[in-house]
Amino acid sequence: MAQIEETTALRRVPPATAIVLCYRLILRQLLTPGRIVVLTLLALVATVSAFALGVADASLDDGVGLLAGLGFGVVVPVVCLVFGGAAIGDLRDDKTLVYVWLRPIDRWPVVVGAAAAAATLAAPITLIPLTLAAAGTGVGNSVVPATLLAGVVGVVAYTAVFTLFGVVLKRFIVWGLAYILIMEGFVAQAGPGVARFALRKYTRSILVDITGADLDLADFSLAVGVITPLVVAVVAVAVAAWRLRSMDID
Amino acid sequence: MTTLPPPNPLTPPAPRSQATVAPGDGMLAVDAVSKFYGSVVAVSDVTFDVGPGVTALLGPNGAGKSTLFRMLCGLTPPSRGAVRVLGCDPRDDRDVRGRIGLVPQQDALFDHLSASDFVEFAARSHAVHDPTQAAQAALGEVDLLEVGAKPVGQFSKGMRQRVKVATALVNDPEVLILDEPLTGLDPVQRRRMIELFHRLGDDGRCVLVSSHVLDEVARLGSRVLVIAQGRLVATGDYRDLRELMDHRPHRFRIEVSDPRRVAAALVDRGLVSGLTLDGSVIEVETLDVDAFGRQLLPLVVDAGARVTEMRPLDDDLESVFRYLVEGR
Amino acid sequence: MAVSDARIVERGFQRYEGPRSGVVGAIRSVAWQSARATLGLGRPARSKIFPVIAVVIAYVPAIVFVGISVLIPGDIVDPEEVADYASYYGFITLAIFLFAALVAPEMLVTDRRNGMLALYLSTPLHRGTYLAAKAIAVAGTLALVTIGPPLLVLAGYTFDGSGPDGVDAWLLVLVRIVLSGVAISAALMAVSMAASSVTDRKAFAAIGIILLVFASSAFAGALVDGADASVYWRMLDVSSMPFELVFRIFGQEGNFPDLATWAVIAANLAWTAAGVAVVAWRYLRLVIAR
Repeated sequence: MAQIEETTALRRVPPATAIVLCYRLILRQLLTPGRIVVLTLLALVATVSAFALGVADASLDDGVGLLAGLGFGVVVPVVCLVFGGAAIGDLRDDKTLVYVWLRPIDRWPVVVGAAAAAATLAAPITLIPLTLAAAGTGVGNSVVPATLLAGVVGVVAYTAVFTLFGVVLKRFIVWGLAYILIMEGFVAQAGPGVARFALRKYTRSILVDITGADLDLADFSLAVGVITPLVVAVVAVAVAAWRLRSMDID
Repeated sequence: MTTLPPPNPLTPPAPRSQATVAPGDGMLAVDAVSKFYGSVVAVSDVTFDVGPGVTALLGPNGAGKSTLFRMLCGLTPPSRGAVRVLGCDPRDDRDVRGRIGLVPQQDALFDHLSASDFVEFAARSHAVHDPTQAAQAALGEVDLLEVGAKPVGQFSKGMRQRVKVATALVNDPEVLILDEPLTGLDPVQRRRMIELFHRLGDDGRCVLVSSHVLDEVARLGSRVLVIAQGRLVATGDYRDLRELMDHRPHRFRIEVSDPRRVAAALVDRGLVSGLTLDGSVIEVETLDVDAFGRQLLPLVVDAGARVTEMRPLDDDLESVFRYLVEGR
Repeated sequence: MAVSDARIVERGFQRYEGPRSGVVGAIRSVAWQSARATLGLGRPARSKIFPVIAVVIAYVPAIVFVGISVLIPGDIVDPEEVADYASYYGFITLAIFLFAALVAPEMLVTDRRNGMLALYLSTPLHRGTYLAAKAIAVAGTLALVTIGPPLLVLAGYTFDGSGPDGVDAWLLVLVRIVLSGVAISAALMAVSMAASSVTDRKAFAAIGIILLVFASSAFAGALVDGADASVYWRMLDVSSMPFELVFRIFGQEGNFPDLATWAVIAANLAWTAAGVAVVAWRYLRLVIAR
């Protein structure tokens, strides 16, 4: 066996190579027909609803409200939860994480590759139907770019946060659902103080700032609405990388 | 004393170095390592060194073998003590992870990948120079080259096990940690795999193989680390270990032409502590192997009998294991 | 001459000759152990965190309502006006759905993934009795959040003296609470077990349960409210029908007064039957490799 008889030399995988390797591996792992079909159907519910509103000549507030409520309250976080949580969570569940962990590579490229793979799948499944939904509401030209920007920010932030969930929490989906349904959907409605801890408030603020619609709990400036979720994403990836380094691997 | 035969025809050539109890310059060094999970002690104050060659880690289910292996690979930190692989801490040293090949106990693989892709991913993630060629070579080593294009999700248990071995080999590691690698293999593949492990050990690699199947371990070689209830019970050549069990009678089977006369003579001279007659066969127990070995043949000649066969009954690994682990 | 010291050391496998509890015992055992595992009983503290949080969320409103009843005199605030038994579920709907998304995947998917299903089927249980045991476990565990909280409200109001007047009225409320809890548990049990039987990932099953609940609600809402379709299309809403049935059990109109009570009952029965059918279909076709 020629390969094995060679002298072992010290080998390191450059971070960029590690990111690409993990990205490709996890992308293929996440890309299952069931997930894609079910989540696309979920996202299309928002599109259909928006077109129904458009047909009924809805107001700007109603149109943006639908996008904020159904699109950015359910579709974006749930799709990002499925892919972000599973990016590393599935490897932990399946006990295949060891095949990525026991390698001469740093931890952060693994997390970055995983989050990027999740975002790669979550982005088209959410952004295309939501952009179509924005156009379908027919409530103004500014709704489409607002939806697109809020969508990109939301996908990046939610994917990173839920990738962290997948690293840290064994029941990452149930915790993620609890965050989406109870924290963002219920507790954060209690007031502006608590709402700061809900990513939904930032995507909502982007929509309101660009379109001029009147929605509750959306009082951040555009800059805060964009920058804060991106900072949260970076912190989530950093924490996930740190945790991946120190956690027990099965 | 009669020279004891090897336990098995597949016993490998003499190793270059031995597993020893004291931590030193071994390729794997475990120093006073303990691992606790809450109030459960999985591994308790274990110390050993392992050098090049094949060493078997032997222990019953739940003895702590897999936990020890996980610590050796850095997958979990020891609660106390230190683990060194090639002089480095496998938990923190990124580079040393590239010099380890692991066959984990669990059956999990990336089922959506083909065997070739799976092993090639391992090669790439180890920065192997020519990953495709390395993957093919590793798959060839485990006789899976022809089915390399098939998804591993379609493989049988034995084939999946071989994929794991190929993955462990693909980075040309200096240290191979193989957690029950023969599970699910058919007898032919089992034999080939054992030959492969011996070859890797003879190359100067440190090959540590765990098993709870005594027959497997006997085939893997005579060097063993025995672990039970989280503690290291014994280490070294199991035949040497048998010699250390002084107070435990050695048992021999002797086939002679006049068994009654020979048996009476053995008892008269006080050479045996127990004796059973069955046709032409005498099974004896003796505490003084040296005296028994020296005096047996003159005694037989004096009795006018002839020995047609003599062999030890309890120098095998099972006997040693039962004594060490089960106390019987 | 030495005598043989032959002795039997290993007696090997010994047939169990004691009493056997039979299929009923096996069902009881599987159901109880499944519930224990899901709730994290006998497992590390981290396994208990989520079940405890979900259960606490379900009970918090009950504690608040009883607290209001105790602390504020009845002539100022009538506790029944704060929340009656039927509308109590409106406060804990999300917690119930989340609990369902935790319980059924944990009980069904785990067995298929770790090989326990094959082990169970090597006992007196067959697929039908195994699923019966699991159904009992899922429904029983869900009852913690569907029956327990209103029972706590009833007990609190009763001790405060603001509960139902007379034994007959009290018993009627008790029966209604139990019926309501059973109805919700049965429907969610069937739906969540169905979702858990079609995927081998707990995570996806949990998401599937939540999506089914919300998507059916959105779809039915779009048809009835958006497209002015018949009100009977509301029967497709699996998230509302069990709770609508609760209103009817308590003799109230509920959220969809246009919908006849027979239709609400039929919707619940249909969802339960559909869920059971999916589970049965999946498990009859399931090839158990290990």
